Order: sequence, then C-alpha cells, then structure tokens
Amino acid sequence: MNRIAQGLVLVLLGAAALGSSAFSELYLNYVQGAFRPFLIAAGAVLVLLGALVVAADLRAASRGEEGEEGHDCQGHDHHGGPRVAWLLVLPAVAVFVVAPPALGAYTAAASGAAAAPDSSRVDLSEYREDPFAEAGDGPVELQLQEFVSRAWTDEERSMSGRTIELTGFVVPHPEGEDEGWYLARLQMACCAADAVVNRVLITGEPAPETDSWWTVRGTWDEPEGDLQSVRDHRFTVEEMREVENPPDPYE
Amino acid sequence: MSDRPPGSSLGDSLVQDWAGPGELPPSDWGRPKGPRRTATVWLFALFITAMAAGNLWLSDRFTHEAFLAWATIFTAISLQALPFLVFGVALSAALTAFVPASFYRRVIPRNPVAAVPVAGLSGMVLPGCECASVPVAGGLMKRGIAPAAALTFLLAAPAINPVVLIATAVAFPGQPEVWIARLVASLGAAVVIGWIWARFGKSDWIRPPRAPHDPDAPKLRVFRDSMVHDLVHAGGFLVVGALAAATLNVAIPREWITGLADLPVVSVLVTAALAILLSICSEADAFVAASLNPFPPTALLAFMVVGPMVDIKLIALQAGTFGWGFVRRFVPLTLLVTLLSTFLIGALIL
Repeated sequence: MNRIAQGLVLVLLGAAALGSSAFSELYLNYVQGAFRPFLIAAGAVLVLLGALVVAADLRAASRGEEGEEGHDCQGHDHHGGPRVAWLLVLPAVAVFVVAPPALGAYTAAASGAAAAPDSSRVDLSEYREDPFAEAGDGPVELQLQEFVSRAWTDEERSMSGRTIELTGFVVPHPEGEDEGWYLARLQMACCAADAVVNRVLITGEPAPETDSWWTVRGTWDEPEGDLQSVRDHRFTVEEMREVENPPDPYE
Repeated sequence: MSDRPPGSSLGDSLVQDWAGPGELPPSDWGRPKGPRRTATVWLFALFITAMAAGNLWLSDRFTHEAFLAWATIFTAISLQALPFLVFGVALSAALTAFVPASFYRRVIPRNPVAAVPVAGLSGMVLPGCECASVPVAGGLMKRGIAPAAALTFLLAAPAINPVVLIATAVAFPGQPEVWIARLVASLGAAVVIGWIWARFGKSDWIRPPRAPHDPDAPKLRVFRDSMVHDLVHAGGFLVVGALAAATLNVAIPREWITGLADLPVVSVLVTAALAILLSICSEADAFVAASLNPFPPTALLAFMVVGPMVDIKLIALQAGTFGWGFVRRFVPLTLLVTLLSTFLIGALIL
C-alpha cells in the first residue's frame, strides 16, 4: 500500500465517521447519542490527516522527488502500509452502501427471554424517585427497561392497578400468533454490540406488523406468586397507537 | 457485502503488481513513482464512484435480516472503536514527537521489576478502552520504556481507568465490592503478567518498532507520520476484529449460554470465553455483565477482568502492532493469569 493510498483510505474512513454523525442521524443506529462529538472529532482528524499525507506526497511528486519518506527505509515496512490496511475501507462501505438499520425484531427474537435480575442488585430509584406520585392519577409513561425492572423486583408492586404507557417495536411470538406478541425495546450501554432486550407479552390484541413501533396504554398483569419466577411480563392493552419514526431506537 | 471485497482485493492486487516489495528496488534508488500515484488516484476515484452507485441502487436491496443485524453490529463496533483508536494513536504520536526520551527515564524506574507496578498504577489515568492503549504502549516502547512495563500499562489502562470503574459502580448499584474486586483483580493480573514478562520475556518476541526518527526532522512531520503509521497498522486489524466479533455476536444464541450458568467452574470459563468472543468495549462490559444475571458473581467478575485484557479485537490489534510472534506468547499467558486472578479475588471478595 503506497503513501497516497494510505492517505486516501484514511480520508474515506474519516468521511464514514463524519457522514454518519455530522451530516445525518445514522450514528444513532449504532452508538449512544452522547457519542456524537467524539465521532465528529475522530472523523475530522482522519480526513485532515489523510488529506495532509496526500498533499505531501503530491508535492513531493511535483518536485520530482521519490517522496519525503525515503529517509528511513531501513524500517520494517519500507513505508508501505500492510495489506490488511485495505480493510479500513469496509466501515466506509458499511456506512455509505449498506447503511444498516438499528437492531430490531430479528435480534430481539434471537436473544430470547432475559432472566430475572437479583433484586438486591437493582436500584429502582436510578430511574426516577417515584414516577407514580409525580403522575398523580393520570397515566404513567415508563421506559420498557424500567417497567421490566419493576415487574421483576418491586416487591411493593407500585405499578399495580396504574395506567402505564410503554413504547417499543413489535416482535412476533416464536410459537405463532395465537400465543400473542411482544412489545420490545433494546437497551444499549455503549454500542449496538452490547444491546440487551426488554420485552412485555401482549395477548389481547392482534399482532401488528413486525418491527413497527407502537405506544401502548394499559395495565400490568400482576402475577400471583413470586415476582422473580416470572418469565414473561404480561400487559393488558386498553389503547394503542402507531409511532412514526421514534427518535432514538435504543433506550 | 458480496459486491465490495472485490474492490479491496482488486486494489490490493493492482498495487501489489506495481509495488510488490519483492519486485520493487529499494526506495532510495529514487525511481520516479509518478505512474503508481496516478494509478492509485484512479483506483480510488473508481471505488468512490462504485460506492455512490451502490448507495443509489443497492442500499434498499439488503433485506436479509441476519445480514443486516451483522452489518449493524460490525458498523457499531467499528464506529465505537474509532474515536478511541484515533485518540490513542494521537497520544502515542505526541509521546513520540514532543516528549523527549529523557523524560521517561526520569519518571519510570530503570529497573523493570520496579517499573511494572508504576506502569500498572499509571493505567488509572488514561480514560480510554483497549483500542487506545495498544498504540500508546507501542509508543512507550519506542521511547525506550521496558516492554514489561509498557505491557502492564497496556493491560491495566482499559481495565481500571476511572470511566470503567464508575461504569461498573453504576451497573452494579449498592454493591461496591464488585468494582473493588474488578480493580484489585485487574491490577493484580496486569502487574503479575508484567513481572513474568520482565523475568522470562525476550526482546525479539516483539516486532521491533520502527527505527528511531531522524532527530532533525520537524516535530510536526514526525507526529503526522507516526499517526499514519499506527493507524494503517492497527486499523486494518481492528476491522478484522470487528468482523469476527460481529459474526460471533449474531451467531451465538444467548439462551444456549445461560443454560450453563449453574455449573461452578464451567460458568466462569463460559463468561470468560464470551468476553473474548464478543469483544465489548471495556467501558460498556459492566452493563452486559449485569445483564448476565443468572451467572454467579465470580463468573461476572471473569467477564469484566478477562474482557479488557484478552478479546478478539484486542488480539488483532496487538498482532498488527507487535506481530504474531508476540501474540502467540502473550495472549495465553494473559488469559491464564487473568483467570487465576479472577478465581482468587472472586473467592476473597465476592
């Protein structure tokens, strides 16, 4: 890989980082929203660095020189980049040609059911002090991850009897439509590789189209016995409406 | 992606034909490179045109769900690692270009046995993940730091920096013993590996870093060249690691793994293997560990201690920076010591 190719590959890679963060919202499909400034900075540095290398090489060419790198050819690489560096164009291809969407029903179905967390390890106040007192008698809007944490660990059962609103995408039940369907949302800590599924089972309504987004209003089907032994949290829908383009696909 | 690799392999073979190291006379012959430059520029022009065409005609045609999930995770790992890699490479280049070698000789003890713990503790100040620490460790070696100390820094920095420890405390609320166990087990493992390397390691196991720079070269040029060198060497391998990790991420069914959670020693080995295969950034792995809740605490500790020190992405990066001869010896040693450290600290603290 010669010098000018190295510069051009870096420019392409930087363009992929910039194109997905500075000029579009594409990056939200892959990483946390707070990551945007870092992506923009990294993209800008790569484009600038690549452009400098190309310019220096072309300047050297116009002076009829062999290139300014002639001075330390005893190094292990003779200033040629390794061939594996050509792979650096793959992220650019992924962003510009494939532009993969956010993870959705396929991943949620493949990762199956989560298991109950140890209730001593969950701190519900990390979400909000008391969402039910804040909302008065009206409906309470909860993130799916908060709903699922409460359904598994809140021994006071403060969700009991309350009207709750959840937003997520539709995942079909693996055993067919008669079993109901899941409203799911992926929870992401850093990037899509660490996404974890939270889901509730809905049986009273016909399954909408897979991967379509809905806000459902209804109540938690309180289980009889031990909260920890629940496998699927059930939810009774009173009202549901389709959501157009949710802003951030992950929670 | 079937339409794409031809682009890269074509470029490879084209440029190889013109510039194959075997055929090309030494560069100091001063042979004009004009035709090669022109060919490279044309190659990229064609490639960008092909990408634009692909963007117009192909991007809606990808409908296979498993492929799209794979592509999403590949893109996510690549983009997520990129700022850390650029930051690490820039820091390494700055260490090479702007900090005089005499500075390190004053700060880091000459004796490797004393230098190793100092290097381990200084890992607490670099807020980055493993992608940043590999080029920085390479930069430190170039400046004459003992390899054992630089390697201890490489292992410790992604595991025990403040961002990672805070993330761990957030992921395990009300359980300070988790982040304390992580800190102790990771630092202990990094220092022990450094000492073992100082005692038994041979310098020719590590691919020699590039010859020292011409001391008269302008500092900015040294900085720029060092950055480009590290990026093209480590970056390609980072992509290899991202490809492998994305494939395993999509291919391994999680339910199949949680079935092994009840077996005492096996569960620890399973989470360690999972950490190696998934290659999750050290700043996010605590959240994933918290979601692996059917596993016992020692197994979760293994996920967080092994992951930042041994994973596919990291192995690929190390191979790109230090060579395969190094990886072949360093990775098994690291895996063994991190596992022992996990069992010991898990039994003592958790």
